Amino acid sequence: MARIGHGNGLASRDSKEKLTDDGRGSDPETEAQVDKYGFTGGAQQHHGQSAEEIPIEVLRQREAKWLEMLNSWDKWMAKKHKTVKERCQKGIPPSLRGRAWLYLTGGKGRREQNQGRFQVLDNQPGDPKWVDIIERDLHRQFPFHEMFAARGGHGQQDLLRVLKAYTLHRPEEGYCQAQAPIAAVLLMHMPAEDAFWVLVQICEKYLPGYYSTGLEAIQLDGEILYALLRRVSPVAHRHLKKHKLEPILYMTEWFMCAFSRTLPWASVLRVWDMFLCEGVKILFRVGLVLLRSMLGSQEKLKACQGLYETMELLRAIQPQYMQETFLVHKIIEIVVSEKDIEKEHHAQLRRWKETHGDLNCKSPPRMHGAKAIMAAEPPSRQDLRQRPTIIVDSPLAPETDGKRPEGAKENGKTKLEKQKTILAPQETVNPDLPPSDPSPLKHMTIQESKESLSSAEHDTYL
Amino acid sequence: MGSDESYNFVFKVVLIGESGVGKSNLLSRFTKNEFSHESRTTIGVEFSTRSVQMDNYTIKAQIWDTAGLERYRAITSAYYRGAVGALLVYDISKHLTYESVDRWLKELFDHADPHIVVMLVGNKRDLDTLRTVPTEEGKDFAEKRGILFMETSALDSTNVENAFNEVLKAIHKKVASREVTRGSICAVTIGSPIGLKGEAQGERRSCCKSS
Repeated sequence: MARIGHGNGLASRDSKEKLTDDGRGSDPETEAQVDKYGFTGGAQQHHGQSAEEIPIEVLRQREAKWLEMLNSWDKWMAKKHKTVKERCQKGIPPSLRGRAWLYLTGGKGRREQNQGRFQVLDNQPGDPKWVDIIERDLHRQFPFHEMFAARGGHGQQDLLRVLKAYTLHRPEEGYCQAQAPIAAVLLMHMPAEDAFWVLVQICEKYLPGYYSTGLEAIQLDGEILYALLRRVSPVAHRHLKKHKLEPILYMTEWFMCAFSRTLPWASVLRVWDMFLCEGVKILFRVGLVLLRSMLGSQEKLKACQGLYETMELLRAIQPQYMQETFLVHKIIEIVVSEKDIEKEHHAQLRRWKETHGDLNCKSPPRMHGAKAIMAAEPPSRQDLRQRPTIIVDSPLAPETDGKRPEGAKENGKTKLEKQKTILAPQETVNPDLPPSDPSPLKHMTIQESKESLSSAEHDTYL
Repeated sequence: MGSDESYNFVFKVVLIGESGVGKSNLLSRFTKNEFSHESRTTIGVEFSTRSVQMDNYTIKAQIWDTAGLERYRAITSAYYRGAVGALLVYDISKHLTYESVDRWLKELFDHADPHIVVMLVGNKRDLDTLRTVPTEEGKDFAEKRGILFMETSALDSTNVENAFNEVLKAIHKKVASREVTRGSICAVTIGSPIGLKGEAQGERRSCCKSS
């Protein structure tokens, strides 16, 4: 039976073992443990205590705050964006991450303004050229994640749907392999249609040109990263210069996949929370932190005397530098702003034109995060209304006295538990959901918040 | 990272070819004796090394691997730099992957050293029942182009060692018969200009050690 190996993402098999086609160990004796993120193996699987454990009360408080923000998203983004940003820096509560990402990226607005569009694209067969290439990649994205392990399973199917839809949405761009991990991360948190619109926003607003023919944007960003490194870590910069290690040799996967293939999973999620809020500068900061951490002192450089050795070092970042708390702290601390990036962008663009001529692929300017996107395409209040997919009509009258939400215990039971003990007489089920959904989800419609926009931040967990 | 092993030469060999033909598994089979049905799509550059003992010298083979998708052709010059060997891989069960071999060869000669040793590799030989490219066809093509040829299976290991060893031997032959220039600290390149930087060929080097 296949034994799932750690560390390099490859399953080790000796010649005596039967090669199985599914990525999962089906032998109950060697059944792999699934970590809290869904990983059964591979380098990104969660081990032990490396990730932060947030106390449950804090998590509940954060959820309440996020629900409130999502309920009046436009107000929060317009007037209290700094708080939104801080809350993203603290980490979005897992239960609301998908929804928050949908709102942060403007995917929500796009979806509402284009109702039915995804279904239209989904129903088309797609360009066989692209579909063929996408199909070859379906089992090669996060193969150690339970969602994507099964060939032809829901996860892989949805991945195909999302990526195919994108090629139909932007036929002149087609498919670029790095879009698959991006789409996969999104699918781990939201349904296919939402994932599609968030992918669109990432490709159009956050990282325009990254996935287009010519890959000029990523090359430019590589040069920007290298240029910024000079100020952040002159030692690292000098070393890379000396060994002529071009950025494209180490930052391509980092940036094109937004570090989803590089960092331990807890860190990936924290980085994405910030990236989708603040834009590409977060990716630059992560890159700079990693480069400085691994190459930033003479002591560290003793171990790499050449181009190849340096590449090896950057390919095997030491876990302590990728650890959630450390990394987030460093990202927030490092002084690299949008202005710095834009300034360097102009300088590198000038250099590029001197050596390569004009850009072949002229992408629109990138938007540096949620606020910029919202300003450019303001959604209507109607667009922002949350539309729960399953609505439960309960005979219990909803609370309107502004009591603390779900966390509050009454008579020894939480409100949620009370709701559960009463059978819901009616359920409106979203027709788009797969019919064989065995466990009907109970959803409480959230009341219009009576709390003002100012809420004291007692939460100091970073 | 290099251990305490010493070696005479470092040869950089690149794997090229269409997406999905098996480049990454050829790399892992040769350098780690591993194969996975669940390897990830290559994005950016992957690489691994293996030292090979030849008759009376040791070669450190530095094998590079990158994405096969058309789009990624734009970022290849750094990839090819200093490469002395190339394995141009196609999938014997997918004729389309063989049809683009000419295009790959052109790219190779546009970006890589003109003296680079090239081997055409028909991979996935274990899928013989699904074969769409006859062995003779690949062999003839390679002969016409003056490049080496072999069919391999990264899955069951058939000919993987042979393929790499043959390429490394051929590179060594070229290196031994021409002047050698030192490129980066440990890499060897073939071709002019003339000039050894004070080091005789065949001298044992233990560079890249962590000391």
